[in-house]
Amino acid sequence: MSEKTAEQTEAEGELTAAVSLWRIFGAFFWLGCTSFGGGSVGWLHREMVLKRRWIDDETFLAAMALGQVMPGANGVKLTVLIGQHLRGGVGAALALFGLLSGPFAIILAIGAVYAGLGQRPLLHAMLDGVAATVVGLTFATGLGSVWRGSPGPLPLTMTALTVLCIGIMRWPLVPVVLVLAPLSIGLALALPRR
Amino acid sequence: MRDGDGNTLLALFAVFAPLSLLSFGGSNAVLADIAEQSVALHGWTSEREFADFFALSRAAPGPGSMLVALIGWKVAGLSGALVATASLYLPGAILVCGASLVWGRWRGSAWHSAVERGMAPIAAGLFLSGGIAVLRLSPAGPAVWAAAALATVALLRWPKLHPLPLLAIGAALFALIAAL
Repeated sequence: MSEKTAEQTEAEGELTAAVSLWRIFGAFFWLGCTSFGGGSVGWLHREMVLKRRWIDDETFLAAMALGQVMPGANGVKLTVLIGQHLRGGVGAALALFGLLSGPFAIILAIGAVYAGLGQRPLLHAMLDGVAATVVGLTFATGLGSVWRGSPGPLPLTMTALTVLCIGIMRWPLVPVVLVLAPLSIGLALALPRR
Repeated sequence: MRDGDGNTLLALFAVFAPLSLLSFGGSNAVLADIAEQSVALHGWTSEREFADFFALSRAAPGPGSMLVALIGWKVAGLSGALVATASLYLPGAILVCGASLVWGRWRGSAWHSAVERGMAPIAAGLFLSGGIAVLRLSPAGPAVWAAAALATVALLRWPKLHPLPLLAIGAALFALIAAL
């Protein structure tokens, strides 16, 4: 993976111009129909960065960063931002419509079936197994994109600090981000880019 | 499941559209807000029904917050499902698009780059913390941590591996444990 990231940033202009609207819709429709477990971000990263290479790790993380200060579900925000990055407003609309239309139909179908089935403990156990595996995809995505996107001790420390404060200590999100964000941005401003 | 009359549809819009613009903090915050609004404030579903809808949305592909389609369906049929879904996603999507356009105007300046480089590792940290939060909430205990760790290692080692077979293995293993 790592051999492409540097040139990808350079070639971004040509790279994105080549993606047709139809392919954007198709790719996000497929993603919507296959991203099980509720962790769309991991699936998006896998499909858009690793497989199709429509965007690189750096752009992905920048979109995630912008998404963090906006309301809404992360996967949906990222879908809109990637669609917009590829083909502007039309790309964003098609990406969003593609992502949501499949799951919308599927969940109504499952709901209709489930209404007839009732409670099944085995089903709940299977859902727990799916959820655990999807968290694995989340971890692999987060760790992998930090590793490839921005190596260096400083970003890694910032990521580790965030995980410590929010994930492990369970401190409230807003004050933690209000302290860490200016610190991290200030350090990025003070230190020249590699 | 009755057909949506105008008032019910308007109520769905009036609840989910503001939520779309106010739910900061990603999927968990969205789900918590949806639960609060539809169970406690409007009585659209019981707690039991909401828990079932949540389980269903995890079994279905796509965003976890798609359970609003089920809430809309329950309250006002197909038109309710459509209105609830569009209300929850469209306003936020338009806002993100606009913010990205404004933000993109400063591309190339030193501080634009510093904000992106500074925020990226924090965004990654928040994302990883979201995974930890899901594991904490799971009723299945240490088994989910072990399964998550195994899946992480496998996907880092082989990034092109498709996660679906892993999900199937995870589901099968947990069903086996539950059956024993």
